[in-house]
Amino acid sequence: MLVLDQLRRGNQRLRWLAITVFLGLGILLAGLWYVQVVAAQRYQVKIRNQTFRTVRVPGVRGKILDRNGAVLAENRPGYILNLYTEELRPLFLAEYNRQKAAFLAAKMATNPAPSLNWFERLKAAFHPTSRAGHLSRADVLTLNERVRYAVVSNTFAQVGALLGTPVAISEKDYERHHNQWPYRPLPILENLTPQQVARFLEQAPVLPGVDLEVQPVRYYPHGPGVAHVLGYLVRDDLARDGDEEGFDYSLPSYQGAIGIESGYNEALSGRPGIQSIVVNSLCYRESETTWAPAEAGQNVFLTLDLQLQLAAWRALQSSGANTRGAVVVLDVTDGDLLALASSPAYDPNAFIQGMSQDEYNRFMNDPQLRQTFNRATQGAYPPGSIFKIVTALACLENGLDPAATYQVEPNPSDPAHGAFFLGRRKIKDLARPGEYDFRRAFFRSSNSYFVFEGLQTGRDRLLEMGKRFFLGERIGLPLRQEVRGDFPYPREARWAWTQGKLADACIGQGITVTPLQMAVMTAAVANGGKVFWPRLVLRMEPPEPEPGVTATEFGTRVRGDLGVNPQNLQLIREAMLADTEDPEGTGFTAFHERDRKTPVLKHLRVGGKTGTAQIEEHGRVVDHIAWFASFAPYEAPRFVVIAMIEGGSSGGGTCAPIVRQVYQALERRFWADSIPAGRSVARSSDSANRRDLLTSR
Amino acid sequence: MSRTATLSHERRIEWPLLLALLGLMVLGGLFVASATLGNENTAHLPLLRRGYIRQIIWYLLGFGLAVLVCVRDYRWLSRWSMIVYWVAILFLIAVLVPGIGSTQGWGARRWIALGPFQFQPSEFAKIAFIFALASYLSRPEPEVAQVGLFFKSLGLCVLPFVLILREPDLGSALVLMPVGLLMMFAAGVPTRYLLRLVGGGVLVVSVLVVDLLWAPLEWRIIKLEPYQMRRLMVYFGKSFVPANATEAERAKAWREYRDASHNVEQALISVGSGGLTGKGWRQGTQNALGYLPRAVAHNDFIFSVIAEESGFVGSVTVLALYAVVLFSGIRIAGQARDRLGMLLAVGVVSLFFCHVFINIGMNIRLMPVTGIPLPLLSYGGTSVLCSLIAAGLLQNIHLNRQYH
Repeated sequence: MLVLDQLRRGNQRLRWLAITVFLGLGILLAGLWYVQVVAAQRYQVKIRNQTFRTVRVPGVRGKILDRNGAVLAENRPGYILNLYTEELRPLFLAEYNRQKAAFLAAKMATNPAPSLNWFERLKAAFHPTSRAGHLSRADVLTLNERVRYAVVSNTFAQVGALLGTPVAISEKDYERHHNQWPYRPLPILENLTPQQVARFLEQAPVLPGVDLEVQPVRYYPHGPGVAHVLGYLVRDDLARDGDEEGFDYSLPSYQGAIGIESGYNEALSGRPGIQSIVVNSLCYRESETTWAPAEAGQNVFLTLDLQLQLAAWRALQSSGANTRGAVVVLDVTDGDLLALASSPAYDPNAFIQGMSQDEYNRFMNDPQLRQTFNRATQGAYPPGSIFKIVTALACLENGLDPAATYQVEPNPSDPAHGAFFLGRRKIKDLARPGEYDFRRAFFRSSNSYFVFEGLQTGRDRLLEMGKRFFLGERIGLPLRQEVRGDFPYPREARWAWTQGKLADACIGQGITVTPLQMAVMTAAVANGGKVFWPRLVLRMEPPEPEPGVTATEFGTRVRGDLGVNPQNLQLIREAMLADTEDPEGTGFTAFHERDRKTPVLKHLRVGGKTGTAQIEEHGRVVDHIAWFASFAPYEAPRFVVIAMIEGGSSGGGTCAPIVRQVYQALERRFWADSIPAGRSVARSSDSANRRDLLTSR
Repeated sequence: MSRTATLSHERRIEWPLLLALLGLMVLGGLFVASATLGNENTAHLPLLRRGYIRQIIWYLLGFGLAVLVCVRDYRWLSRWSMIVYWVAILFLIAVLVPGIGSTQGWGARRWIALGPFQFQPSEFAKIAFIFALASYLSRPEPEVAQVGLFFKSLGLCVLPFVLILREPDLGSALVLMPVGLLMMFAAGVPTRYLLRLVGGGVLVVSVLVVDLLWAPLEWRIIKLEPYQMRRLMVYFGKSFVPANATEAERAKAWREYRDASHNVEQALISVGSGGLTGKGWRQGTQNALGYLPRAVAHNDFIFSVIAEESGFVGSVTVLALYAVVLFSGIRIAGQARDRLGMLLAVGVVSLFFCHVFINIGMNIRLMPVTGIPLPLLSYGGTSVLCSLIAAGLLQNIHLNRQYH
C-alpha cells in the first residue's frame, strides 16, 4: 500500500518525512472529526442563531357582538407604509460611490499630507496602509452610515412629498433601527387616511422598498357607550407562556387590559403564527417562510342588547356628561345582562390610536371621575333605602303583619318629618310622622318603620336574608372588575354588630353593595325567588364555520332560591308598584307627566324603590348615593333596571328619571308597533310578543 | 536489459498521482463554482468572468505547463535553476515597487499586473527556491555535511523569506522555512545543525510572540501590521481590551475583536455545521448569506465551503486525495535516479504538505489565519499554475527514475 510502504521502507530520512506527513494529516483528520462530528451540533445551533430571526404574527382578533349580532368591537383595516431597507442596498452602493470622492477630497483638505523628505516618502510608498487617499476602516464605516441615512431620509422625504404630509426620521432613530433589526421593515407612516392611501397608490411604484401594508386595527364603533364592558387593549409584544417558541420580535400584538377583551382574551386573540426570516451577514432580510400560520380568534356574543345599552348610556348622560353613576338592565327570567353602563366612560379607541404619557396619566389618575372604574360592578356603595326590600322580606318572613300599623313620632327639631329613637341616638326620617302600615311605609320609604321592624326581626335573620341574595359575594363576571361589597355573614357580625349598626343596616347604611348585586336582588324578588348568576357572554363562535369546530354556548345558571313565601314577594312587588303609581310614592313624579296623572310609560307598569344613602366621613355627610331599583312589567316581570348616581340629590329625583328613560327605550324597542291602548288591556298580549322579540337573534 | 525494453517498462507516469490531482481539480472546479455563487448570481455575467470557468482555464493552462515540464529531463531543467531563482528574486523586489506591484485593493502588495491578469511572484518564488536549493544540495553527501554549505543553503532560504515578508505575506514567507529545513534534512545535513536551527527559531518566535502579546508597547522588538497583530491575538485568545480602558475603548476593542475573529469563527461554524454528510453542493448558507466573507470564501477559505457542503465525508475525501499526492511524492523521492531528483521531490512534497496543513488547520482553528492557498482547490491562477508545475516536476522525476 502506498502509505504504509513509505512509512516502512526507503531511506531513513525519507521515512522521517513520511512519518511527519502522516502525523500532520492525522492531526487534521482528528481535528476535522472533532469539529464536524463531535461538536457539529454546537455549530449547527450557532448557524441557526445567526441566520434565522423568528417573528410572531398575531392572529386576527375575534369580534365582540351583542345578542342580535350587532358589532360592539371589530377590526378595521389600518394602513401602514413600511420601508424595506434591504431593497435600498443598490441605492446605498451608488450613493456610497458618489460620496466617496467628495469625502476623500474633504479629508485631504482638512489634513494635508505632511511634507516629507525623499527617504520618508519612499518609506511611505513601501507602507501601503499609510498612503494618502486611502479610506481607513473607520472612514468607510462613517461614510456608510452617512450614506445609508441620506438614502433613507431621502426616501422618507419623497414619501412625504407624495402624500402631502411631512414625514421624517431622525438619524438616531434610523441608526438604532439599523443596529438592532435591519431585517425588520421600517415604518414610515402609520394609520394612513384614505386620501393618503389613494395618493400613494396612484404614484407609489416609483419608490423602491416602500410598501403599503394593511393590518387589522381594533375599532369600537360605539366608543364610550359600551366601554366598560368591552374594556380596552394595550400593546403587548412580549412572549406569553403559551407561546411554543421564542421569537426575535413580534408584529404589533395587543392584549385585553380589562373587560371582555381581557376576560376572553385567549379566545379572542386566537393563536399567533410564527414566521422565520433568513438574514444575511449584514442582518438584512434575504427570504422568509411561515412556519405556523396565525389562527384567527373566535367571535364572542354578549347578552347585551346594543340599543338598550346605548339607551342606558344616554340616560346616564342625560344628567350631565360627567355624571358618576351606573345603570344595569337585567332579564329577570334568565339573568341575562341586557345593559351594563357606567359613567363617566372613556373611548377605548383612544388606547389603540395611542395617547401621550401625559394624557394617559391624567386619564388614569383622575381622583373624581375615574373613567376606567366600572361603577356597575366595581363600585361598592351603601344601598340606602332600596335595601328595605331585603329588610321587608326578612320582616315579612319573620311574621310581620302587613296590615299592622306603626306610629312614627315626629322629630322634635323638625316636626314635619319623623324620627326614630334608639337609646340616645336619633335616626332621622324623611317621611312624615303618623301611622304607617307595611305598604305605605314601603312606598313612603319610612326609616322609622323599617328600623323598628328590623330590630324586632333581629340581626341574624336580616343578614341571613341578605345572604340568600348573595350580598357580599362575588358575582363572577368575566370582566376582571368586580368587588364583593361589604355584607357579613351572621356569624361574622356576632360580636361586631351593635343594635345601632343593625338599625343602620335596616335602612341600607353601613353595608355596601354593587349596582349589579342590586339588580340580581331585585330580579329575584320580581321573578318569584330565583337568584341567577348574571350572564354576560352568550356564546363563542369560530370566525369561519369549520368542520370540527363548534360554537361554545354558555347556559343560564341559577345560583340559589330565596325559599320564601311567594305571597311575601307579591306584597313587596305591590308596594314597589305603589312607589311609582301612588301619588305619595317617592318615584311617582318621575313616571308621570307634569299633570301628575298621565303615566309617561304607555305599556309598562313599573315597580320601583328609591334610595338615597349618605356617605359620612368623620360624622359629617359628605356625599349622597342615589338609587332606583325597579322591575317591569308589573304583571309578568321581565326586566330589572337599576340606576345609581354618586352625588345625586335623591333616588326619586335623580335616578328614577334615568330609569324611566331606559323603560321608554324598552317600550320603543319592543312595543313600538302596538297601538297605545288602555294600559291594562295591552299588557297581556304584549308580553308574549315581547318575549319573542327578545329571544330572536 | 535492452534499452527499448527498459523504456517501455520504466517510462510510465505515476497514475495514482495523476488521478488524485484530477480528483482535486474536479472538486476545485465544483466548489469554486459554489463559493462564487453569492457574488456572481447575476445571470448576465459573461462566462469568461465567472470564477469557475477561469479556474478551469487555469487548470488547462497549468496542465499544459506540467506536460511541458515533463518534456525535458529534470536534470536538464536544473541547469537553469540558479537563473530561475534570481529572476524570482528580481520579481520579489519588483513587486515591492509601487508602480509595478499592485495591492488588489488589499493592504499588502503581493501582485504584479500583467494585462488583465495578476500574478503573485511569491508563488513562483517557492518553486524557484525548491529548484535552486535542490540543485545546490544535490552535491555528494560528505560535502553537504560541511558547516559552510549549511549556512549558504540557509542563505538561499532567507533571501526570498525576507523579501516575501516585506510584501507583507507572513504565511508564504513562513512556508519557505519548513520546506527548506525538510530538504536540508533529506539531503543529509547533520541533524545537530538542523536541531539548533529549529531550536533557535522556536526560541526567537516564542520570544517575539511573548513580546508582542504581553510586553509593554515600548518594549516591542518588531512591529507587525495591525491586522497581523489582531490575528495573532485572536489565535492566542488574548483579550483586545487594554488593562485600564474606558467604556468607549472597551466597546471599540470588542468590536475590533469581533471583526478580527469573525473569519475564524465563521469558518469554524461552516466546517462544524457541515456535520457528517454536509448540506449538499451549493446548499451552504454561510457563504451564500455572506457570513463567510465572499472575498475569501473561494480562495483562502475554500475548504470551509467544501466542508460545509459535503461534511466530514467530503473533508476526508479531500484529505485522502492529498495523502495520495503526498505519499506518491515520497515514493517518487525514494525511487529517484539521483539526489537531485530525490531532493526536488522532497521539496515539492514539503511545499504541498505545508500548504495543506496550514490552510486546513486555519479553517478549524489549529493554525492562525494566513493567506496560504489550498493547492489546486483555492481559486487563483498563480497558485494553480505553480501547483501543477510542481506536480509535473514530480512526474518528470518519476518518468526519469533509476533502473531497478
